[in-house]
Amino acid sequence: MTLANGFRRAGRDVLLALAFLCLVAIAVLVKDVVKELRFLSSADSDNVHWTLSQAEVEFLEFRNAVNWARTVPETPLSTVIVEFDVFYSRTSTLANGSQYSPLREDPAFDAPLVEVRDRLNGMIPLIDGPREDLRAGLDDLAAQIEDMRALVRSIATTGLQHFALESDELRTSLATTLLRLAVFTGLLLLALAALLMHAYRTAQQTDKRGKELAIAYARLNTILNTSLDAVVVTDTEGRVQNFNPAAERIFGRRLKDVRNKHIGDIIVPEHLREAHDRGMARFAADGERRVIGQGRVKLEGMRANGEVFPVELAIETAHAGEEQLLVAFLRDISHRVASENELVQARDKALAGEQAKAEFLAMMTHEIRTPLNGILGNLSLMEDTKLSSDQARYMRNMKISGELLMRHVDAVLDVARFESGADTAQEDVTHLGHLMQDLVDSQTSAAHAHGNALQWGWVGTPEEWVEVDSSRLQQILLNLVGNAIKFTREGRISIEAEMIEPGEPAQIEIRVSDTGSGIAEGDLARIFEDFQTVSHQVSDSVGGTGLGLGIVRRFVQAMGGEIGVESTLGEGSTFWLRIPVMPAEEPSEDKGALPESEAPSDLEILLVEDNDINMQLAYEVLVGMGHHVTEARDGQEAVDVANKRPFDLVLMDIRMPVMDGLTATKMIREGDGPNWDAPIVAFSANVLPEARDRFAAAGMSDFLGKPLQRSELAQIIVRFCAGRERRVTLDGTTPLLVKKKESPMEKLRARYISETSALFEWLAGLPEDTQAIANRAHQIAGSAAAFGQPGVREALLLVEQVAESGDREDLVIAINEAQAAWKAAPEPSLIS
Amino acid sequence: MKAGRMYKLIERFAGAAGLLLIFGATSVAAGTLEEPTGPVLLTISGEIENTNGEGTAAFDLEMLRALGATEVTTDTIWTPGTITFTGVELKTLLEHVGATGTEIDATAINNYTVVVPVEDAVEDGPILAYEMDGRLMSRRDKGPLWLIYPYASNAAYRTEVIYSRSIWQLDRMAID
Repeated sequence: MTLANGFRRAGRDVLLALAFLCLVAIAVLVKDVVKELRFLSSADSDNVHWTLSQAEVEFLEFRNAVNWARTVPETPLSTVIVEFDVFYSRTSTLANGSQYSPLREDPAFDAPLVEVRDRLNGMIPLIDGPREDLRAGLDDLAAQIEDMRALVRSIATTGLQHFALESDELRTSLATTLLRLAVFTGLLLLALAALLMHAYRTAQQTDKRGKELAIAYARLNTILNTSLDAVVVTDTEGRVQNFNPAAERIFGRRLKDVRNKHIGDIIVPEHLREAHDRGMARFAADGERRVIGQGRVKLEGMRANGEVFPVELAIETAHAGEEQLLVAFLRDISHRVASENELVQARDKALAGEQAKAEFLAMMTHEIRTPLNGILGNLSLMEDTKLSSDQARYMRNMKISGELLMRHVDAVLDVARFESGADTAQEDVTHLGHLMQDLVDSQTSAAHAHGNALQWGWVGTPEEWVEVDSSRLQQILLNLVGNAIKFTREGRISIEAEMIEPGEPAQIEIRVSDTGSGIAEGDLARIFEDFQTVSHQVSDSVGGTGLGLGIVRRFVQAMGGEIGVESTLGEGSTFWLRIPVMPAEEPSEDKGALPESEAPSDLEILLVEDNDINMQLAYEVLVGMGHHVTEARDGQEAVDVANKRPFDLVLMDIRMPVMDGLTATKMIREGDGPNWDAPIVAFSANVLPEARDRFAAAGMSDFLGKPLQRSELAQIIVRFCAGRERRVTLDGTTPLLVKKKESPMEKLRARYISETSALFEWLAGLPEDTQAIANRAHQIAGSAAAFGQPGVREALLLVEQVAESGDREDLVIAINEAQAAWKAAPEPSLIS
Repeated sequence: MKAGRMYKLIERFAGAAGLLLIFGATSVAAGTLEEPTGPVLLTISGEIENTNGEGTAAFDLEMLRALGATEVTTDTIWTPGTITFTGVELKTLLEHVGATGTEIDATAINNYTVVVPVEDAVEDGPILAYEMDGRLMSRRDKGPLWLIYPYASNAAYRTEVIYSRSIWQLDRMAID
């Protein structure tokens, strides 16, 4: 279209240029014609033909006068003189006149003329002389005139011929010019005709465009009228010029009612009106734009009924001729905003759910680990007492099983972390034989209980030291062996380990075979899925979560291995697994771990712990290692004590009433007390890595898991206190608690009973302070499990939960249930 | 030829203007003119009001000079170079004799006659020249009187018609 227009315009320009050139040419030619016509009309020739003939006539007049004077002697001679002068005058004209100058260049004209003039001049003395002489010379004069006659004739004829030719040339020239004029006029007419055509076509196009414009306008109107968005057009003062049907619908107003009214009074809510007016004033004053041309902006609009609702709008300026217009596109986004709000709420709920899940997981870790802590701690203490060899063996079995349970808890956490993608392999150098033997040892009693024989052995060349995630491998095998024991009665369970040769990386295959009930073929495919149990005569009596093999599968896969099962119903099963292992060198003794013997003793240690039992256990261990222990019950107490005197080491529990361990650590670090740079080690059952990050962020130096292990504690002490100058000397300091040798456990038990009784008495009075109820219930709950009263613990945890929710009716019910649980609970005992 | 017609039109307008002037000049009282004392150069007859003979007005050189000398400097197609002619304006002369006609039959000494319309007699128009470059014109030099139009100063005078009216060796004028 544009290209065609360009061509058309170029064509028009060419035609115009052509027409102009024609006009110039015609002007030049007309000038020529006028000049020639003027030449013709001004005709310098004075009718030269006549003049030339006249010369001959006057010559004859002169001749006649002379002849007459000869024949009639009495005739006066003046006529002769006059005729002479007249003829003479004529020859002068021919000899001098400018129009005869081209003629005089012709010798055929000039020579006779000069001859005639000479002869006339020769006659002058006679003519001007005395009359008698003239009369006497008349005959002679007549003779001379007769001689001149031929000359005069020649002058006339040559002259006439010359001017006839000249006339011809003039005519030819004029004819040529006129012909040219005609040609150019013709061209001009053609150019004008072409221009006329062009003008006609342009007019047609204009007409066509006009129609197209009308169609486009109609189309635009249709679009405006059917637009789902409100379109409002105002002038620069904000007076409404157009208000499309969508705008009418959204704002509940009619175009005829709002035309020329100020937009601010119609659709802008009152609280935005002032800002709107200021904006319009700014725009009017200096064209400043804050909303206009800024793309989509979220604002609020107002309906006719005063309802304010969210809109999304875009305003642009437009020019309609000289007039500037503002065009606003508005969209009612109240539905969208509502949906967004719902989404945000849903997301917040989901996030809260996630948070709750994470907190639940942390709680679980804490709450399962606390009683385990008790068991393992007591086992550690019991190892130091005098035991019979049988008791020592049972001790070792119990300890292994306890540690396995702890790892099992860790494994559940691992699954959770595995699922959340936070899992990482933790490979270490392990002696496979020891691992197997420990496993078999720990499970032997269970196997014997079912009348089963349990044994293990290498097939082929043993590979003793390997790099493998031993904790997982142990858990996998424990699961498989545990299952085998569960489903086998009076049978045999054998574990075979075999290195697969060759292989890069090296792989080990471990097979756990039993002579048990076996698994139906149809069930084989699903037993590795979560929560899958197999209905079975034997298993019904033992039950299970159905999680075990799912965890096993995950771990094997995470270790880059594979697992499978072969089974015949009624004959037994063989679970096999293949995992890559890296053969390793036997690690040097105590590699990486500092010898406990190097650990300094007589250290001043601040122990911060709210749970009495845990406190007591840690206290016993530390005092047993020869340290002086200062106790603090919560974070606030810890800060107070730490501000008074320096310590070599601070062991800080995290979850505590009044002030938690993290806050206390921050306060000690940021305060100007003597312990701002002391090693502060977190002491927590929460072993989640993200928890450890949190501890480090709060300024804690390291982490010590519960239950407290002598070896780990020794490592910490060596790491932070060996070779350091002692921060504290014994002189002038008095530990708050001295070493207790006499039955500390019994004292603890008595204390637990008295505290718990006190709690229930207090609760019976239904105290107002629900927070206090929650705190005290939590505290006792933490101990209840350790004293073999899980029912009390559950009931108190419920009390804590309800107390925190603040629902007093539920609280009364929970307290009553807790009272019942307390009464029904077995005698509290740490030993059991 | 169109252009030629146009010039004729111009002449006619110019003539009409001249006529007006002539009529304006007829207020000069009819009467007798003084008698010529020298040789008579020009005799005017016909429709005139002022005479010094039998219905004629005869002029010698002195009488013509007395009417006021006008100079016309021009080239002509009959003479070489540029020439200054001295003479009396035709307009002045016609007013002087109280001419009332529309045409002048101007006749030369050899009875060659041309018709000059009275309209030609305008201010800065033709003169009856008696001097050429300050010298009286002899008969042999187209004297004694030569009707000269100012050809150089007005293109309208450079036409064949005007050239044909430029009569030399003039000695009689009859006003019709």
